[in-house]
Amino acid sequence: MRDYLKLHGNSDDADPEVTGALRREYAPPSDESYWGALEARIVSRLADAYRIGWWDELDRWMRPALAAAAVVLLASGIALFRQYQAEQQTAYEAMLTPAPSALPVETAVRPVLQESRETTFRYLMTP
Amino acid sequence: MSVESATTLPFSAPMTDDGSRSSERDFVVAAQRGDERAFGELVRRHQRRAYAVARAIVLTHEDAEDAVQEGFLHAFRALDRFRSDQPFGAWLNRIIANAALDLVRRRKVRDADELPDSLALPFRDPGESDELRRRLQSALAGLPDRQRAVIVLHDVEGFTHGEIGAMLGIPEGTARSDLHHARAALRRMLKDVRSN
Repeated sequence: MRDYLKLHGNSDDADPEVTGALRREYAPPSDESYWGALEARIVSRLADAYRIGWWDELDRWMRPALAAAAVVLLASGIALFRQYQAEQQTAYEAMLTPAPSALPVETAVRPVLQESRETTFRYLMTP
Repeated sequence: MSVESATTLPFSAPMTDDGSRSSERDFVVAAQRGDERAFGELVRRHQRRAYAVARAIVLTHEDAEDAVQEGFLHAFRALDRFRSDQPFGAWLNRIIANAALDLVRRRKVRDADELPDSLALPFRDPGESDELRRRLQSALAGLPDRQRAVIVLHDVEGFTHGEIGAMLGIPEGTARSDLHHARAALRRMLKDVRSN
């Protein structure tokens, strides 16, 4: 990598003084014990890496649950639509088909109550 | 000797039958089977590079440490998705870079109102606290995050534009352009304190 830097690191518009200052600023810790401690910290956390919290478990089931809910919703929608279509069809057919047993209508003339009307008239005209 | 048989030597590379050091691939395969010691060896081999990648992206040494730890744990969990036909280091660097970028995003949300005046850079030589250093820190803090990461990854760590693009999730041309702008900005901000 340093060879690469020699070839390209300071090429084109790079300023050697700024690049040098940058390298000093970003120099990694040189103490070996620092790296040993960092490594130990990382390794000590590996056991936790596979520990699954309830939220992780929930997250794992989230996608299948959403997919299942979508399928159920779709199936319910289709079933409801088919039921609605069937009801519409039945109503339409019932409207177009004539009633098979139409009963004859009986008519009767209402008797005129002539006598009663004349009695009332006479009563009113009598002084 | 198998990888498992080397467990009596903590953090040391297992030995093959012919006495030579096992290749990195053996450690990766062993780690994929859940061998934490093999993964520990991978940590030992790659942690300096991982730190350099993280340090280029985050603002402080402490954040770089956090990003390295998080990145290695992500890598450990994702080992079953690692394809052995690709270089482990490049794969790991991408994961570390992602962990560092996540950290930067979280910090931005948390510290939205607090912009640092200068970068906190530990491990500095007390005798080297000159004007250039102070101004450099200030200038680096003023650079956009991506430009700062690109110039450090390229000029300090020596990554190629392609490698930087892969790590940061940007096209190679963008990395090249960011480097040019970052260099120009630093030159402009430091021109009155440089020796020449």
